[in-house]
Amino acid sequence: MKKLTEWVKEVKQQKLNKEEKTPQIDLNSPTEDDSIIFSSLKENLDKVRNDLGGSQDVIIREFAFGEDGTKKIAILYTDGLVNSAIVQELILKTLMVDIRVAHLKGENLQQTTLEILEKHSLTGGEMKKVSDLKAVKHDILSGDTVILIDGEKEGFTVGTKGWEHRGVEEPSSQTVVRGPKEGFNEMLRTNTALIRRKIKSPNLWIEQMKIGRESQTDVAILYMNGIANKEIVDEVKSRLKRIDVDGIFESGNIEEFIQDEIYTPFPTIYNTERPDAVASGLLEGRVAIIVDGTPFVLLAPAIFVQFMQSSEDYYQRADISTALRILRYTAFMLALLVPSAYIAVTTFHQEMLPTTLLISLAAQREGVPFPAVVEALLMEITFEILREAGIRMPRAIGSAISIVGALVLGQAAVEAGIVSSVMVIIVSITAISSFVIPEYNLAISIRLLRFVFMILAATFGLFGIIIGLIFLVTHLTSLRSFGVPYLSTFAPLNSDDQGDAILRLPQWANFSRPRLISKGNSSRGKTPAPEPPSPSQGKKQDEELSE
Amino acid sequence: MSKKLLFLIIVIFLVILSGCWSRTELNELAIVSALAIDKVDDQYLLTVQVLNVSEIAGDTASTRVAVSTFQEVGDSIFEAIRKLAKLSPRRLYFAHLRLIVFSEQVAKEGIQKPIELFSRDHEFRTDFFLVVSKEKNAKSIIEILTAVDKIPAAKIFNTIEVSEKVWAPTKGVHLDVLLSKITAKGDNPVLTGVLAKGNLKEGGRLENVEAVPSPTTIELDHLAVFKGDKLVGWLNEKESKGYNYINDNVKGTVGTIECEGGNFTVEVINTKTDRKVTVNQGKPKISINIEVEVSIAEVQCDENIIEEEKFDQLEKKLEEVTVDILEEGIMCAKKMESDIFGFGETIHKKEPKLWNKLKDNWDEQGFIDLEVEFKANISIRRTGTIQKPYTEK
Repeated sequence: MKKLTEWVKEVKQQKLNKEEKTPQIDLNSPTEDDSIIFSSLKENLDKVRNDLGGSQDVIIREFAFGEDGTKKIAILYTDGLVNSAIVQELILKTLMVDIRVAHLKGENLQQTTLEILEKHSLTGGEMKKVSDLKAVKHDILSGDTVILIDGEKEGFTVGTKGWEHRGVEEPSSQTVVRGPKEGFNEMLRTNTALIRRKIKSPNLWIEQMKIGRESQTDVAILYMNGIANKEIVDEVKSRLKRIDVDGIFESGNIEEFIQDEIYTPFPTIYNTERPDAVASGLLEGRVAIIVDGTPFVLLAPAIFVQFMQSSEDYYQRADISTALRILRYTAFMLALLVPSAYIAVTTFHQEMLPTTLLISLAAQREGVPFPAVVEALLMEITFEILREAGIRMPRAIGSAISIVGALVLGQAAVEAGIVSSVMVIIVSITAISSFVIPEYNLAISIRLLRFVFMILAATFGLFGIIIGLIFLVTHLTSLRSFGVPYLSTFAPLNSDDQGDAILRLPQWANFSRPRLISKGNSSRGKTPAPEPPSPSQGKKQDEELSE
Repeated sequence: MSKKLLFLIIVIFLVILSGCWSRTELNELAIVSALAIDKVDDQYLLTVQVLNVSEIAGDTASTRVAVSTFQEVGDSIFEAIRKLAKLSPRRLYFAHLRLIVFSEQVAKEGIQKPIELFSRDHEFRTDFFLVVSKEKNAKSIIEILTAVDKIPAAKIFNTIEVSEKVWAPTKGVHLDVLLSKITAKGDNPVLTGVLAKGNLKEGGRLENVEAVPSPTTIELDHLAVFKGDKLVGWLNEKESKGYNYINDNVKGTVGTIECEGGNFTVEVINTKTDRKVTVNQGKPKISINIEVEVSIAEVQCDENIIEEEKFDQLEKKLEEVTVDILEEGIMCAKKMESDIFGFGETIHKKEPKLWNKLKDNWDEQGFIDLEVEFKANISIRRTGTIQKPYTEK
């Protein structure tokens, strides 16, 4: 044992040494000559060209302007990232044609060229000055157009972003029967707009930052000022600022950096493609994190019950939603425990089964060559392979997989006597149950834990399952999401929040926001319960009608 | 970190090394459905009925039988069970036992010793029925194939359960009840009697269930009366009925009285029996009050008796018949000197001081001298779906 730990230490030390030896090239730290715009246009352009390695997609267009055509000017943009119509209409046309006609006549000549351009000529809406080359390069690569003028130490950035992107489509991951069908897309701006369209309050605050040394990904933090807990907002911001990595391409990349507990199969940050889910999360006091380039938006803090809820719960009748939620929790337990319970009962506790059931199970196992646990593992793993294949394979061969899966595994394996038919039933009920869980990443954790429980059941029977459940609950209780207990509303028990946990009380009975998430501001509204009109009112109406 | 690593390694080793302790696969078990205890010389002859599961629930039909029996002798029951390992290819599994059959000889010598194992061993549950095989060997009962229910033990088990609900003379007894009655001083057990009829040698062949009327059958007989743990005699149908009425075991049954031209039959739908103890000059007296609700089931009488004025008369006649049944039950038990009704325990609970004087000689003296008074109250609730009988003249 001692040797082992020593060995681990040694390996670690070696790793550290290695890291120290390899020289780190920090591509982001500004060098001296990077920061200022030279007054010579030629030098500027050479520098930019040089720094970008002469990439062909960066367009640098030099031309002369002014009445006498002596002033040299250049526009820089990246082809494909800009809306070329805007570049053509607002910039090139203005600088090359209109400016000669309009503004460089007499009265304006006292002003500098920069001022004239800024105040009178350029018709772009989003415009700002830039004074260092680092910003220039960044703006070009973000899809904006930079204008540099010979002899000036400052230039302009004009917002011309416009690239090919997916429109607002129906989300593919969290589908509903009733409810909005729009989903986020890969554009940060579109996504913030989708949320703004749902919450028009000035209290919806959006803060933006860039994460990723190389990718320079735009990340927006959204929260309701006055509802969200200030401490949680600050915590989110500070955790995001801590991230130092070369690239962020999906919110999952960020999720891994900012979650509370690393060693857990459970997701502690909620992700969704649905603007309505984000908007209602914001109103509950949660913080949303939108990452440019992905339709999946993060919501934090997230608690366990959230992963068992669907947006549609709030659009359906309360009683039906409650029934569906109970169904989901049942499915959760089934997906987690059915194979392990089968193993435990058939190999350790045969006395628990009704005699007729035992006889029919025993009859099916007659001639099956494997022990129940091997049989179960075999079928479960096969099913997981099938499922993974179903997700990754090219769409065109999808039907082939389902035929092979259903026929070969379901039918032939039983007929060949390799597995018992009850095992096929168990694998199917487990699989279907795991699809009922509305959040995909919780369903994955259950898939994983199922195998742990199967091994526990095979070694200790029901006793093992119970030990496993105790460990599971203890682990869940120990989890935190941005300081909020993961099992909150149950542990710690909070009677106010029970109206929207397993139950879904009618909206008029559910006035409070989750207490631990929106500290201090928990009143949602004061709508009284709807009442039928009183008999006297009804009479009045009748009289009015008869008149 | 090293601590966490150590913990992880310990957990993994725990799972791997303890590896499926006491695990048994379903196809390594021989499910025992019934067990018969006979006596040969001084040794027990133990017969077990084991299920051939694939014959019962399998999807491929074959010509093999649904159950098989193995038998072995031993000085004790447990020794005989272990000896059976020589015969059975699989481990005998007793948790799903439905039936234990004693031969009359074993029952006469006392069942306390043979049943000790069943309450001590953890694998036996107490939800099986204990029965006595009337006249024949105990093993002959479990060596007969039965129609409808493929498992003979389940057939007997289900027959007892169903007929308890609809036929008053039947009573099924579980192990816990039997033990508490054996140990109680003022109470004695009864057990269900089971009778094998027909050619016993042919009963175990498949031909027995290939004919429409099975040549060899098993049926329930009436109750076997025990004194302590020893069989002392049998009740007949009427006495068994009386026993169940007095002990408030009847859930439903049939009652018949004669009338002009035929029989008048009622269905008993609800009964309730109360017993009271009164002491008169140092002598206990038990009064039994029985409330019965009946509905008219079958009328073969010549005159129309379905008239409200005649109901009182009918009820009175039924009450007389009922009291007669109860009295006969008591008489028979007194003849056998066995208080199967638990009157002694009733006195024990209500008059403990008096019981102290009576308990030493209860079955032989106190019970026989005990005065029992009956009162029956029968009410006709329903007449069925027709009013007048067709046979009315």
